[in-house]
Amino acid sequence: MPGSESTDLTFFLDTDNSPFVLFDRHGSIVYLNDAAEILLAYVDKRELFDLALSYAPNDFGTRTTPMELHYRQLNFYAVTVAYQDEEQIGIRLYYRPRTRSNQPVDPSRLKMTNINTILEASIALFAMENSTRFDLLTDADLPEFKLDQNGFSKLLRRTLHLFRASADLHISLTMAVGESIMIDHKRRPIVRLTIQANGRYNDEDRTIKALADEMRIITLLDEHRILFDIPFIQE
Amino acid sequence: MQNYATRSETVQQIIKSLNLTRTLYVSSIIIGEPWSGKRTLVRHLFPDLPTVDGHDQEAVETLLSQTDALIIEHYEKIPNTERLDFEDKHIIAIADYAGNTKILDETFAFIYHMPPLRERPEDILLYADLYQKEAAETLMLDTEITLSKNVLDIRQNLRSLRASIYREVLLQSGDRDALERGLHHYFMGQMPEEADYHRHLGLFEKPLLEAGLHVYGSQLRLAEALGINRNTLRKKIHAWL
Repeated sequence: MPGSESTDLTFFLDTDNSPFVLFDRHGSIVYLNDAAEILLAYVDKRELFDLALSYAPNDFGTRTTPMELHYRQLNFYAVTVAYQDEEQIGIRLYYRPRTRSNQPVDPSRLKMTNINTILEASIALFAMENSTRFDLLTDADLPEFKLDQNGFSKLLRRTLHLFRASADLHISLTMAVGESIMIDHKRRPIVRLTIQANGRYNDEDRTIKALADEMRIITLLDEHRILFDIPFIQE
Repeated sequence: MQNYATRSETVQQIIKSLNLTRTLYVSSIIIGEPWSGKRTLVRHLFPDLPTVDGHDQEAVETLLSQTDALIIEHYEKIPNTERLDFEDKHIIAIADYAGNTKILDETFAFIYHMPPLRERPEDILLYADLYQKEAAETLMLDTEITLSKNVLDIRQNLRSLRASIYREVLLQSGDRDALERGLHHYFMGQMPEEADYHRHLGLFEKPLLEAGLHVYGSQLRLAEALGINRNTLRKKIHAWL
Protein backbone atom coordinates (compact mmCIF):
# COMPACT_ATOMS: atom_id res chain seq x y z
CA MET A 1 0.00 0.00 0.00
CA PRO A 2 1.38 3.41 -0.85
CA GLY A 3 3.08 5.08 2.07
CA SER A 4 2.46 2.26 4.53
CA GLU A 5 4.98 0.05 6.20
CA SER A 6 4.94 -3.68 5.69
CA THR A 7 2.00 -5.18 7.74
CA ASP A 8 2.61 -8.17 9.99
CA LEU A 9 -0.09 -10.66 8.99
CA THR A 10 0.91 -13.32 11.50
CA PHE A 11 -1.92 -12.45 13.92
CA PHE A 12 -4.54 -12.87 11.19
CA LEU A 13 -2.99 -16.10 10.02
CA ASP A 14 -2.68 -17.42 13.58
CA THR A 15 -6.32 -16.94 14.34
CA ASP A 16 -7.71 -18.05 10.99
CA ASN A 17 -10.21 -20.89 11.22
CA SER A 18 -8.58 -22.89 8.45
CA PRO A 19 -5.51 -24.89 9.36
CA PHE A 20 -2.38 -23.65 7.63
CA VAL A 21 1.04 -25.30 7.80
CA LEU A 22 4.30 -24.15 6.20
CA PHE A 23 6.95 -26.85 5.65
CA ASP A 24 10.60 -26.63 4.67
CA ARG A 25 11.94 -28.82 1.88
CA HIS A 26 12.56 -31.71 4.32
CA GLY A 27 9.04 -31.72 5.74
CA SER A 28 9.86 -29.96 9.00
CA ILE A 29 7.32 -27.45 10.15
CA VAL A 30 8.39 -23.85 9.78
CA TYR A 31 5.09 -22.35 10.87
CA LEU A 32 1.60 -23.50 11.81
CA ASN A 33 -1.43 -21.55 12.97
CA ASP A 34 -3.74 -22.34 15.92
CA ALA A 35 -6.21 -24.34 13.81
CA ALA A 36 -3.35 -26.45 12.46
CA GLU A 37 -2.19 -27.19 16.01
CA ILE A 38 -5.59 -28.79 16.66
CA LEU A 39 -5.44 -30.65 13.36
CA LEU A 40 -2.04 -32.11 14.21
CA ALA A 41 -3.58 -33.78 17.24
CA TYR A 42 -5.40 -36.02 14.76
CA VAL A 43 -3.02 -36.38 11.82
CA ASP A 44 0.69 -36.91 11.48
CA LYS A 45 2.64 -33.96 10.04
CA ARG A 46 4.28 -36.33 7.54
CA GLU A 47 0.86 -37.14 6.12
CA LEU A 48 0.13 -33.43 5.66
CA PHE A 49 3.51 -32.86 4.02
CA ASP A 50 2.88 -35.75 1.60
CA LEU A 51 -0.55 -34.28 0.88
CA ALA A 52 1.04 -30.91 0.10
CA LEU A 53 3.57 -32.50 -2.27
CA SER A 54 0.87 -34.56 -3.99
CA TYR A 55 -1.38 -31.61 -4.68
CA ALA A 56 1.22 -28.91 -5.29
CA PRO A 57 0.87 -26.88 -8.52
CA ASN A 58 3.13 -27.89 -11.37
CA ASP A 59 5.00 -24.61 -11.18
CA PHE A 60 5.42 -21.87 -8.57
CA GLY A 61 2.08 -20.52 -7.44
CA THR A 62 -1.05 -21.94 -5.81
CA ARG A 63 -3.44 -24.71 -6.57
CA THR A 64 -6.75 -25.49 -4.87
CA THR A 65 -8.11 -29.01 -5.09
CA PRO A 66 -11.57 -30.05 -3.89
CA MET A 67 -11.43 -33.31 -1.90
CA GLU A 68 -13.10 -35.00 1.04
CA LEU A 69 -10.73 -35.30 3.97
CA HIS A 70 -11.65 -36.67 7.38
CA TYR A 71 -9.42 -36.64 10.43
CA ARG A 72 -11.50 -37.96 13.30
CA GLN A 73 -14.35 -35.44 13.64
CA LEU A 74 -12.60 -32.81 11.50
CA ASN A 75 -13.95 -32.77 7.97
CA PHE A 76 -12.48 -30.78 5.07
CA TYR A 77 -13.70 -30.23 1.56
CA ALA A 78 -10.63 -28.73 -0.19
CA VAL A 79 -6.92 -27.93 0.16
CA THR A 80 -4.80 -25.13 -1.27
CA VAL A 81 -1.08 -25.76 -1.75
CA ALA A 82 1.28 -22.86 -2.48
CA TYR A 83 5.01 -22.40 -2.99
CA GLN A 84 7.13 -19.62 -4.42
CA ASP A 85 10.59 -21.18 -4.15
CA GLU A 86 12.15 -24.59 -3.68
CA GLU A 87 12.64 -24.09 0.07
CA GLN A 88 9.15 -23.87 1.51
CA ILE A 89 5.67 -25.16 0.75
CA GLY A 90 2.40 -24.24 2.47
CA ILE A 91 -0.90 -26.12 2.74
CA ARG A 92 -4.28 -24.77 3.85
CA LEU A 93 -7.30 -26.98 4.53
CA TYR A 94 -10.89 -25.80 4.29
CA TYR A 95 -13.37 -26.95 6.93
CA ARG A 96 -16.65 -28.37 5.73
CA PRO A 97 -19.39 -26.40 7.48
CA ARG A 98 -21.25 -28.60 9.94
CA THR A 99 -24.87 -29.20 9.15
CA ARG A 100 -26.69 -28.49 12.35
CA SER A 101 -30.25 -29.17 13.26
CA ASN A 102 -32.00 -25.92 14.13
CA GLN A 103 -34.19 -27.81 16.54
CA PRO A 104 -32.95 -27.59 20.08
CA VAL A 105 -32.61 -30.91 21.87
CA ASP A 106 -36.05 -31.83 23.25
CA PRO A 107 -35.38 -31.89 27.01
CA SER A 108 -38.33 -34.20 27.71
CA ARG A 109 -36.62 -36.97 25.75
CA LEU A 110 -33.43 -36.73 27.73
CA LYS A 111 -33.31 -39.09 30.70
CA MET A 112 -30.47 -39.79 33.08
CA THR A 113 -28.93 -42.92 31.63
CA ASN A 114 -26.19 -45.39 32.27
CA ILE A 115 -24.94 -45.61 28.70
CA ASN A 116 -23.14 -48.88 29.50
CA THR A 117 -26.53 -50.52 30.08
CA ILE A 118 -27.77 -49.57 26.61
CA LEU A 119 -24.48 -50.71 25.09
CA GLU A 120 -24.65 -54.07 26.89
CA ALA A 121 -28.29 -54.65 25.90
CA SER A 122 -27.53 -53.73 22.28
CA ILE A 123 -24.60 -56.11 22.18
CA ALA A 124 -26.80 -58.90 23.63
CA LEU A 125 -29.31 -58.23 20.85
CA PHE A 126 -26.61 -58.22 18.17
CA ALA A 127 -25.03 -61.40 19.56
CA MET A 128 -28.28 -63.31 19.02
CA GLU A 129 -27.89 -63.25 15.27
CA ASN A 130 -24.14 -62.88 14.85
CA SER A 131 -21.20 -64.93 16.05
CA THR A 132 -18.96 -61.90 16.39
CA ARG A 133 -16.22 -61.78 19.01
CA PHE A 134 -16.25 -58.58 21.04
CA ASP A 135 -13.30 -56.70 22.40
CA LEU A 136 -14.83 -54.22 24.84
CA LEU A 137 -13.01 -51.32 26.40
CA THR A 138 -15.58 -49.40 28.36
CA ASP A 139 -15.35 -47.08 31.32
CA ALA A 140 -17.60 -48.79 33.86
CA ASP A 141 -17.41 -45.74 36.13
CA LEU A 142 -18.77 -43.39 33.51
CA PRO A 143 -21.34 -41.28 35.35
CA GLU A 144 -24.95 -41.26 34.21
CA PHE A 145 -25.88 -38.45 31.85
CA LYS A 146 -28.91 -37.30 29.92
CA LEU A 147 -29.64 -39.21 26.76
CA ASP A 148 -32.55 -39.92 24.42
CA GLN A 149 -32.67 -43.58 25.42
CA ASN A 150 -34.93 -44.80 22.62
CA GLY A 151 -33.21 -42.76 19.92
CA PHE A 152 -29.74 -43.81 21.03
CA SER A 153 -30.74 -47.48 21.23
CA LYS A 154 -32.07 -47.33 17.67
CA LEU A 155 -28.87 -45.64 16.53
CA LEU A 156 -26.77 -48.33 18.18
CA ARG A 157 -28.79 -51.23 16.75
CA ARG A 158 -28.49 -49.87 13.21
CA THR A 159 -24.81 -49.10 13.67
CA LEU A 160 -23.93 -52.56 14.97
CA HIS A 161 -25.89 -54.05 12.07
CA LEU A 162 -23.36 -52.49 9.69
CA PHE A 163 -20.71 -54.72 11.27
CA ARG A 164 -22.73 -57.92 10.84
CA ALA A 165 -20.08 -59.54 8.64
CA SER A 166 -17.21 -58.84 11.03
CA ALA A 167 -15.61 -61.68 12.93
CA ASP A 168 -14.13 -59.33 15.51
CA LEU A 169 -15.48 -56.06 16.80
CA HIS A 170 -13.61 -53.56 18.94
CA ILE A 171 -15.76 -51.23 20.98
CA SER A 172 -14.53 -48.48 23.24
CA LEU A 173 -16.54 -46.08 25.35
CA THR A 174 -14.70 -43.36 27.26
CA MET A 175 -14.76 -39.68 28.10
CA ALA A 176 -12.81 -37.72 25.49
CA VAL A 177 -10.34 -35.96 27.76
CA GLY A 178 -9.93 -32.25 27.08
CA GLU A 179 -12.49 -32.14 24.27
CA SER A 180 -15.90 -30.52 24.23
CA ILE A 181 -18.72 -29.51 21.93
CA MET A 182 -21.11 -26.58 21.96
CA ILE A 183 -24.75 -27.56 22.46
CA ASP A 184 -27.36 -24.83 22.78
CA HIS A 185 -24.63 -22.25 23.55
CA LYS A 186 -23.13 -24.36 26.31
CA ARG A 187 -19.83 -26.19 26.19
CA ARG A 188 -20.32 -29.89 26.91
CA PRO A 189 -17.77 -32.63 27.57
CA ILE A 190 -17.77 -35.54 25.15
CA VAL A 191 -18.39 -39.25 25.66
CA ARG A 192 -16.76 -41.06 22.77
CA LEU A 193 -18.06 -44.38 21.48
CA THR A 194 -15.92 -46.08 18.85
CA ILE A 195 -16.89 -49.25 16.99
CA GLN A 196 -14.19 -50.69 14.80
CA ALA A 197 -13.63 -53.79 12.66
CA ASN A 198 -11.77 -54.90 9.56
CA GLY A 199 -14.53 -53.55 7.40
CA ARG A 200 -18.22 -52.76 7.42
CA TYR A 201 -21.31 -52.19 5.33
CA ASN A 202 -22.16 -48.57 4.58
CA ASP A 203 -25.71 -48.87 3.21
CA GLU A 204 -27.22 -47.14 6.27
CA ASP A 205 -24.66 -44.36 6.71
CA ARG A 206 -27.12 -41.63 5.79
CA THR A 207 -29.73 -42.88 8.26
CA ILE A 208 -27.15 -43.21 11.00
CA LYS A 209 -25.88 -39.68 10.38
CA ALA A 210 -29.45 -38.32 10.43
CA LEU A 211 -30.37 -40.19 13.65
CA ALA A 212 -27.18 -38.98 15.34
CA ASP A 213 -27.70 -35.39 14.18
CA GLU A 214 -31.16 -35.37 15.78
CA MET A 215 -29.48 -36.11 19.11
CA ARG A 216 -26.61 -33.68 18.49
CA ILE A 217 -24.18 -36.55 18.32
CA ILE A 218 -21.19 -35.94 16.07
CA THR A 219 -20.55 -38.86 13.77
CA LEU A 220 -17.46 -40.06 12.00
CA LEU A 221 -18.08 -42.76 9.42
CA ASP A 222 -14.83 -44.37 8.31
CA GLU A 223 -14.25 -47.41 6.15
CA HIS A 224 -13.45 -49.55 9.18
CA ARG A 225 -14.82 -47.51 12.03
CA ILE A 226 -17.80 -45.56 13.28
CA LEU A 227 -17.24 -42.98 15.97
CA PHE A 228 -19.85 -41.07 17.97
CA ASP A 229 -19.06 -38.00 20.04
CA ILE A 230 -21.98 -37.82 22.45
CA PRO A 231 -22.62 -34.63 24.41
CA PHE A 232 -22.30 -35.26 28.13
CA ILE A 233 -25.28 -33.40 29.60
CA GLN A 234 -26.07 -33.77 33.27
CA GLU A 235 -28.32 -30.87 34.29
CA MET B 1 -39.58 -65.52 40.84
CA GLN B 2 -39.01 -68.86 39.12
CA ASN B 3 -36.78 -68.82 36.08
CA TYR B 4 -38.36 -68.95 32.65
CA ALA B 5 -37.76 -72.45 31.33
CA THR B 6 -35.26 -72.40 28.51
CA ARG B 7 -31.90 -73.90 27.59
CA SER B 8 -31.69 -71.93 24.35
CA GLU B 9 -28.82 -69.46 24.22
CA THR B 10 -30.81 -67.12 21.97
CA VAL B 11 -33.75 -67.00 24.36
CA GLN B 12 -31.36 -66.42 27.25
CA GLN B 13 -29.90 -63.44 25.37
CA ILE B 14 -33.41 -62.05 24.84
CA ILE B 15 -34.05 -62.34 28.58
CA LYS B 16 -30.74 -60.65 29.35
CA SER B 17 -31.42 -57.74 27.02
CA LEU B 18 -35.02 -57.29 28.23
CA ASN B 19 -33.83 -57.29 31.84
CA LEU B 20 -31.12 -54.73 31.13
CA THR B 21 -33.59 -52.36 29.48
CA ARG B 22 -36.43 -52.85 31.96
CA THR B 23 -35.94 -49.42 33.56
CA LEU B 24 -35.30 -47.57 30.30
CA TYR B 25 -37.71 -45.62 28.15
CA VAL B 26 -37.23 -47.77 25.08
CA SER B 27 -39.53 -49.59 22.68
CA SER B 28 -38.93 -53.29 22.11
CA ILE B 29 -40.69 -55.92 20.04
CA ILE B 30 -40.49 -59.72 20.13
CA ILE B 31 -41.44 -61.41 16.89
CA GLY B 32 -41.97 -65.14 16.64
CA GLU B 33 -44.27 -67.87 15.43
CA PRO B 34 -47.50 -68.44 17.40
CA TRP B 35 -47.00 -70.50 20.56
CA SER B 36 -43.21 -70.13 20.52
CA GLY B 37 -43.33 -68.88 24.12
CA LYS B 38 -42.84 -65.14 23.61
CA ARG B 39 -45.99 -64.02 25.43
CA THR B 40 -45.29 -66.29 28.40
CA LEU B 41 -41.75 -64.94 28.51
CA VAL B 42 -42.86 -61.29 28.56
CA ARG B 43 -45.54 -61.93 31.19
CA HIS B 44 -43.00 -63.79 33.26
CA LEU B 45 -40.48 -60.93 33.11
CA PHE B 46 -43.00 -58.11 33.49
CA PRO B 47 -45.89 -59.49 35.55
CA ASP B 48 -47.00 -56.04 36.71
CA LEU B 49 -47.13 -54.22 33.38
CA PRO B 50 -50.58 -53.50 31.94
CA THR B 51 -51.34 -55.42 28.77
CA VAL B 52 -53.42 -54.46 25.76
CA ASP B 53 -54.33 -56.34 22.59
CA GLY B 54 -53.43 -54.93 19.16
CA HIS B 55 -56.80 -55.93 17.73
CA ASP B 56 -58.27 -52.98 19.64
CA GLN B 57 -56.63 -49.78 18.37
CA GLU B 58 -58.67 -47.55 20.67
CA ALA B 59 -57.67 -49.52 23.74
CA VAL B 60 -54.00 -49.31 22.72
CA GLU B 61 -54.21 -45.53 22.25
CA THR B 62 -56.05 -45.07 25.56
CA LEU B 63 -53.54 -47.11 27.54
CA LEU B 64 -50.64 -45.33 25.83
CA SER B 65 -52.05 -42.00 27.00
CA GLN B 66 -52.46 -43.27 30.55
CA THR B 67 -49.23 -45.08 31.32
CA ASP B 68 -45.51 -44.94 30.65
CA ALA B 69 -44.96 -48.68 30.44
CA LEU B 70 -47.09 -51.34 28.79
CA ILE B 71 -47.20 -54.60 26.87
CA ILE B 72 -48.94 -54.73 23.48
CA GLU B 73 -49.93 -58.21 22.35
CA HIS B 74 -50.66 -58.97 18.68
CA TYR B 75 -48.89 -55.81 17.59
CA GLU B 76 -49.22 -56.97 13.97
CA LYS B 77 -53.01 -56.58 14.24
CA ILE B 78 -52.97 -52.85 15.04
CA PRO B 79 -54.76 -51.20 12.09
CA ASN B 80 -52.93 -47.84 12.20
CA THR B 81 -49.56 -48.06 13.88
CA GLU B 82 -48.59 -44.63 12.56
CA ARG B 83 -51.05 -43.07 15.00
CA LEU B 84 -49.11 -44.40 17.98
CA ASP B 85 -46.35 -42.46 19.69
CA PHE B 86 -43.89 -44.65 21.57
CA GLU B 87 -41.41 -41.93 22.49
CA ASP B 88 -40.65 -41.61 26.21
CA LYS B 89 -42.41 -44.89 26.93
CA HIS B 90 -41.31 -48.35 27.91
CA ILE B 91 -43.07 -50.48 25.32
CA ILE B 92 -42.87 -54.22 24.88
CA ALA B 93 -44.73 -55.35 21.80
CA ILE B 94 -45.34 -58.97 20.81
CA ALA B 95 -46.04 -60.01 17.23
CA ASP B 96 -46.57 -63.30 15.39
CA TYR B 97 -44.91 -61.93 12.24
CA ALA B 98 -42.80 -58.95 11.25
CA GLY B 99 -44.94 -57.21 8.64
CA ASN B 100 -43.31 -54.06 7.29
CA THR B 101 -39.70 -54.31 8.45
CA LYS B 102 -38.93 -50.71 7.52
CA ILE B 103 -41.64 -49.43 9.85
CA LEU B 104 -40.45 -51.79 12.59
CA ASP B 105 -36.92 -50.48 12.14
CA GLU B 106 -38.10 -46.92 12.58
CA THR B 107 -40.46 -47.68 15.47
CA PHE B 108 -38.52 -50.00 17.72
CA ALA B 109 -35.16 -49.68 19.40
CA PHE B 110 -34.84 -53.38 20.19
CA ILE B 111 -36.14 -56.00 17.76
CA TYR B 112 -35.96 -59.59 19.02
CA HIS B 113 -36.69 -62.74 17.04
CA MET B 114 -37.97 -65.61 19.16
CA PRO B 115 -36.79 -68.81 17.46
CA PRO B 116 -39.46 -71.46 16.79
CA LEU B 117 -39.21 -74.69 18.76
CA ARG B 118 -37.75 -76.61 15.79
CA GLU B 119 -34.67 -74.35 16.07
CA ARG B 120 -34.40 -74.99 19.82
CA PRO B 121 -33.93 -78.78 20.17
CA GLU B 122 -32.64 -78.30 23.72
CA ASP B 123 -35.98 -76.67 24.64
CA ILE B 124 -38.07 -79.44 23.02
CA LEU B 125 -36.67 -81.96 25.51
CA LEU B 126 -36.94 -79.53 28.39
CA TYR B 127 -40.62 -78.78 27.70
CA ALA B 128 -41.44 -82.42 26.91
CA ASP B 129 -40.23 -83.29 30.38
CA LEU B 130 -42.15 -80.41 31.99
CA TYR B 131 -45.39 -81.23 30.16
CA GLN B 132 -45.08 -84.93 30.92
CA LYS B 133 -44.86 -84.16 34.66
CA GLU B 134 -47.70 -81.67 34.34
CA ALA B 135 -49.89 -84.19 32.52
CA ALA B 136 -49.18 -86.93 35.05
CA GLU B 137 -50.10 -84.58 37.88
CA THR B 138 -53.22 -83.20 36.18
CA LEU B 139 -54.47 -86.67 35.27
CA MET B 140 -53.44 -88.09 38.65
CA LEU B 141 -51.37 -90.89 37.15
CA ASP B 142 -48.82 -93.01 38.96
CA THR B 143 -47.78 -95.18 36.02
CA GLU B 144 -44.34 -94.78 34.45
CA ILE B 145 -44.60 -93.17 31.00
CA THR B 146 -41.91 -93.51 28.36
CA LEU B 147 -42.06 -90.82 25.70
CA SER B 148 -40.56 -91.51 22.31
CA LYS B 149 -39.21 -88.50 20.38
CA ASN B 150 -41.25 -89.36 17.31
CA VAL B 151 -44.55 -88.74 19.09
CA LEU B 152 -43.58 -85.14 19.94
CA ASP B 153 -45.45 -82.79 17.62
CA ILE B 154 -43.82 -79.34 17.31
CA ARG B 155 -45.62 -78.14 14.17
CA GLN B 156 -47.44 -75.57 16.32
CA ASN B 157 -44.56 -75.11 18.72
CA LEU B 158 -45.39 -75.43 22.43
CA ARG B 159 -49.10 -75.81 21.80
CA SER B 160 -48.90 -78.96 19.70
CA LEU B 161 -46.03 -80.28 21.81
CA ARG B 162 -48.16 -80.07 24.94
CA ALA B 163 -51.18 -81.65 23.21
CA SER B 164 -49.11 -84.52 21.81
CA ILE B 165 -47.67 -85.29 25.24
CA TYR B 166 -51.08 -85.25 26.94
CA ARG B 167 -52.42 -87.61 24.25
CA GLU B 168 -49.48 -89.94 24.63
CA VAL B 169 -49.66 -89.93 28.42
CA LEU B 170 -53.38 -90.73 28.27
CA LEU B 171 -52.81 -93.52 25.79
CA GLN B 172 -49.99 -95.11 27.73
CA SER B 173 -51.84 -94.93 31.01
CA GLY B 174 -55.08 -96.42 29.67
CA ASP B 175 -56.15 -99.85 30.99
CA ARG B 176 -58.02 -102.50 29.03
CA ASP B 177 -61.40 -100.87 29.74
CA ALA B 178 -60.18 -97.47 28.58
CA LEU B 179 -58.74 -98.95 25.38
CA GLU B 180 -61.99 -100.77 24.67
CA ARG B 181 -63.98 -97.59 25.19
CA GLY B 182 -61.60 -95.72 22.92
CA LEU B 183 -61.96 -98.36 20.20
CA HIS B 184 -65.71 -98.35 20.67
CA HIS B 185 -65.82 -94.61 19.95
CA TYR B 186 -63.55 -95.08 17.00
CA PHE B 187 -65.68 -97.83 15.42
CA MET B 188 -68.84 -95.83 16.01
CA GLY B 189 -67.29 -93.02 14.00
CA GLN B 190 -66.19 -95.35 11.19
CA MET B 191 -69.38 -97.30 10.60
CA PRO B 192 -71.45 -97.77 8.54
CA GLU B 193 -69.07 -96.44 5.78
CA GLU B 194 -66.07 -98.45 6.94
CA ALA B 195 -67.21 -101.78 8.30
CA ASP B 196 -64.74 -104.21 6.71
CA TYR B 197 -63.55 -106.64 9.38
CA HIS B 198 -60.10 -107.33 7.95
CA ARG B 199 -59.37 -103.66 7.53
CA HIS B 200 -60.02 -102.94 11.20
CA LEU B 201 -58.12 -106.00 12.35
CA GLY B 202 -54.90 -104.02 11.94
CA LEU B 203 -55.87 -101.91 14.94
CA PHE B 204 -55.30 -104.94 17.09
CA GLU B 205 -52.68 -106.93 15.19
CA LYS B 206 -50.22 -104.19 14.21
CA PRO B 207 -49.45 -102.90 17.74
CA LEU B 208 -49.47 -106.47 19.06
CA LEU B 209 -46.86 -107.59 16.52
CA GLU B 210 -44.71 -104.47 17.03
CA ALA B 211 -44.68 -104.92 20.78
CA GLY B 212 -44.11 -108.67 20.43
CA LEU B 213 -41.13 -108.27 18.14
CA HIS B 214 -39.68 -105.68 20.47
CA VAL B 215 -40.02 -107.99 23.46
CA TYR B 216 -39.14 -111.38 21.87
CA GLY B 217 -36.65 -110.23 19.28
CA SER B 218 -37.30 -112.94 16.66
CA GLN B 219 -40.31 -114.15 14.70
CA LEU B 220 -39.67 -117.69 15.83
CA ARG B 221 -39.87 -116.87 19.52
CA LEU B 222 -42.81 -114.55 18.97
CA ALA B 223 -44.79 -117.21 17.08
CA GLU B 224 -44.22 -119.60 19.98
CA ALA B 225 -45.25 -117.00 22.55
CA LEU B 226 -48.40 -116.05 20.63
CA GLY B 227 -49.26 -119.67 19.98
CA ILE B 228 -49.60 -119.28 16.22
CA ASN B 229 -47.84 -120.86 13.25
CA ARG B 230 -44.60 -119.21 12.09
CA ASN B 231 -45.90 -118.85 8.51
CA THR B 232 -49.11 -117.25 9.75
CA LEU B 233 -47.03 -114.78 11.77
CA ARG B 234 -44.85 -113.98 8.74
CA LYS B 235 -47.94 -113.28 6.64
CA LYS B 236 -49.35 -110.97 9.29
CA ILE B 237 -46.05 -109.12 9.66
CA HIS B 238 -45.93 -108.73 5.87
CA ALA B 239 -49.48 -107.39 5.87
CA TRP B 240 -49.22 -104.85 8.74
CA LEU B 241 -45.63 -103.84 9.27
